[in-house]
Amino acid sequence: METYKIVQNYLQELPFELQLVWILSVFLSLVVVIFVIYLKVLRSSLRKKEALQEEYKKRYETLLLSFLFDESNDDKLRNQENEFINIINAEINDNFNRKIIIETLLKLKNEISGEIEKDIQHIYLQSNLKSFAYQQLKSKNWYEIAKGIKELTQFKVEEAYSQIKILINYPKKEVQKEVQLYLVSLFHFEGLKFLSSLKSDLSEWDQIELLEELKHLENQEIPEITDWLTSKNDSVVMFTLKLAKMYNKYENVDTLIQLMNHENQKIRLQVILVLTHLQVLDAKSVLTSKFKSYTEEEQVAIFKLLENVFEPSDEKFIAENIHSNNFEIQLSALKMLKSINKNTFSKLLINKMAFKNSTVLNFVQNN
Amino acid sequence: MNTTTLNGIIQVIHYLFFGYAFLAISSYIILSIISAFETIEYFKKNSFVNYKKILSSDAAPSISIIAPAYNESLNIVENVRSLLSNHYVNYDVIIINDGSKDDSLEKLIEAYDLVNIDYLINQQISTQPLRKGVYKSTNPAFEKLIVVDKENGGKADALNTGLNISNSKYVACIDVDCLLLEDALQKMVKPFLEATEKRVVATGGVIRIANSSIIKDGKLMDVNLPTKLIEKAQILEYLRSFLLGRMAWSRLNGLLVISGAFGMFDKQIAIEVGGYDTSTVGEDMEIIVRVRRYLEEKKVNYKVAYIPDPLCWTEAPDNYKIFISQRNRWTRGTIEVLRKHRKIAFNPNYRNLGLLSYPYWLIFERFAPIIEVIGIIYFGILIALSEVKWDYALAFFILAYLFTILLSLGAIFSEELTYHQYKKKKTGLKLIIISLLEPFVLHPFILYAAVRGNLDYFFNKKKKWGEMTRKGLGKANN
Repeated sequence: METYKIVQNYLQELPFELQLVWILSVFLSLVVVIFVIYLKVLRSSLRKKEALQEEYKKRYETLLLSFLFDESNDDKLRNQENEFINIINAEINDNFNRKIIIETLLKLKNEISGEIEKDIQHIYLQSNLKSFAYQQLKSKNWYEIAKGIKELTQFKVEEAYSQIKILINYPKKEVQKEVQLYLVSLFHFEGLKFLSSLKSDLSEWDQIELLEELKHLENQEIPEITDWLTSKNDSVVMFTLKLAKMYNKYENVDTLIQLMNHENQKIRLQVILVLTHLQVLDAKSVLTSKFKSYTEEEQVAIFKLLENVFEPSDEKFIAENIHSNNFEIQLSALKMLKSINKNTFSKLLINKMAFKNSTVLNFVQNN
Repeated sequence: MNTTTLNGIIQVIHYLFFGYAFLAISSYIILSIISAFETIEYFKKNSFVNYKKILSSDAAPSISIIAPAYNESLNIVENVRSLLSNHYVNYDVIIINDGSKDDSLEKLIEAYDLVNIDYLINQQISTQPLRKGVYKSTNPAFEKLIVVDKENGGKADALNTGLNISNSKYVACIDVDCLLLEDALQKMVKPFLEATEKRVVATGGVIRIANSSIIKDGKLMDVNLPTKLIEKAQILEYLRSFLLGRMAWSRLNGLLVISGAFGMFDKQIAIEVGGYDTSTVGEDMEIIVRVRRYLEEKKVNYKVAYIPDPLCWTEAPDNYKIFISQRNRWTRGTIEVLRKHRKIAFNPNYRNLGLLSYPYWLIFERFAPIIEVIGIIYFGILIALSEVKWDYALAFFILAYLFTILLSLGAIFSEELTYHQYKKKKTGLKLIIISLLEPFVLHPFILYAAVRGNLDYFFNKKKKWGEMTRKGLGKANN
């Protein structure tokens, strides 16, 4: 008591600013103590949560596997399925449990294929898990909506189409991306129709995800893509160009050549890549005739295309570029010239002084 | 000078110190809050990402890992194996043997069946010439590996050689002794690919300390807290810097530095600005400042991104001599970069870069140690003059100390709630203890190194990199 009074008197006599510093110090000390205690609690709870997660995962996995691989008669199986679904329904109101159940179902679904995969999907659809995902779609939080769509995609819930489709132009990109993946994953090329009404940009990452989704489809018959190639949304054009390359869309060559007049340089570059891949001879004359009007990056890409389709008749154009200041163009031109006309190439070797730097010439000579 | 004038001057000096401390503390609080929001956002966004898809995609962009090596014979074979074990498909590893005097090259040739090849280099950036040339493996298992043997020119010069050699769209510049996690490249390349409105020109990664952690076959098996106080204190310092500081600067698109130990660049832009500056010891910071300055001047809408995932693990100095040498170099690097690009300072033409990032670095990074030393000297003078108001001094010291602890605890919380890498029992307690001790066991040495760095910068221009002896990851305590 005596000490307390001494401290109290001391503090009261202090100037205001010093009082403030001490008050702040006491406050921060308390915060430090609370933080330390909370850190201890947090670490323990994280450890416990991890252990509990493992325990629950094992439990659900054992239950699910014993049902999935049971060879009893149909009636018994049906009873077991109902029993399992009842267990799930009883426990999914708890977020923690629901998350683990879904993770377990997904893990087994990804590891097992065929009939058993369908059984897992059936369990998901018969349980109340689906309704939780539907509820998430109505959330005001973008994160919950995206989670819901992802889950419905993973369990291939086609009935959710109308509720998910309307979210295609949702303000948050993560939601848009999940909608796109849902459409393509479940409705395949048909799902790509969203491209016609897409207002936002498809990032390169989104495009890769969609292309990978399409790559693994059994039916590889791609629909008509001309409309998307002429879309006002540049990212849709870019994505469609990648589709054209992936699915060797020779029938779109005319549109591709027209796209060389597109104002977006990235699109023109991608067109050259597609034309290179398709080895379109017709494109050669169009591109070489306007060669100087293209950017340096495009010119390099044109030479890459030419490397695949060059003929002796291209010698004049190639020879015009052997002194290019661009390393890649010069290398490409010299390689092609060597291949087309060894005599002309040999003459270059005699007159090396004509080159600012003969390193590229020497390299082509030796390789 | 009469007593009243003296007291007046002392009063003004006190207010200046107080104002500086207040601004510094406020900035730390603001950055921590921003960082918390950014971390939450990052975790939410990335919980949907499927990184596996890009691994099998033909459309995945090419990446070159460029790793300069100088006298790394002891661990070079294992380090390269670690770099070759990345899960990304479309990548190659370019090791630049920067005029090593040891048998690094011979070891690599033997371990990876390397043969000398005729390789045409597009010399876009001027570098030191090749010594023995370029090597590739005859073993298809190591087809991603390219080894370049060149004359010594320093780290920046070696990285520039890598930029010239690389045929990829993106380059990941790393220290050869760093341990990259297998999913590092796909995570680092993501910001480049998901950007639609801004052009992402570089991505910085978090550097974590692997001293005492268990590493097997180039893979991180078990994360441990090191035993030495200096190592533990650096772990805390790195957590604060990467989880609180850089995360916030990333949100503000104001990152001025990407650690030289691990960063990824759009190769085109790195070459456009002329590559790394070979005349500075702070080449990692310099190239970012130069790229930003260049893009600001060209009015390009760009971003320097940041990935908080623990993807790159490195060995931190385990003794004070090497630690001081490293921090001395960092200080000189900062001074060199800020002086070279002083045109940016407080210049509204450079938007955030000129009005926020640069001034922050100048005031709270460059000048902080100088102001602190002036403060200490001033305090000594006051003691000598018997002018110290001890009740004030004690109160402010305690307040500053408590704030430091709180900031460290904030970083520990951030780590626990996000990556939770230090799972073992009692590690939490050890981290708390180190947050109490760090101001005494690490900070004075940082301050000393910074002062030495300043003196060396102005009076010992010949000093370059300094000593950095490494034992090798996973071998630190053997």
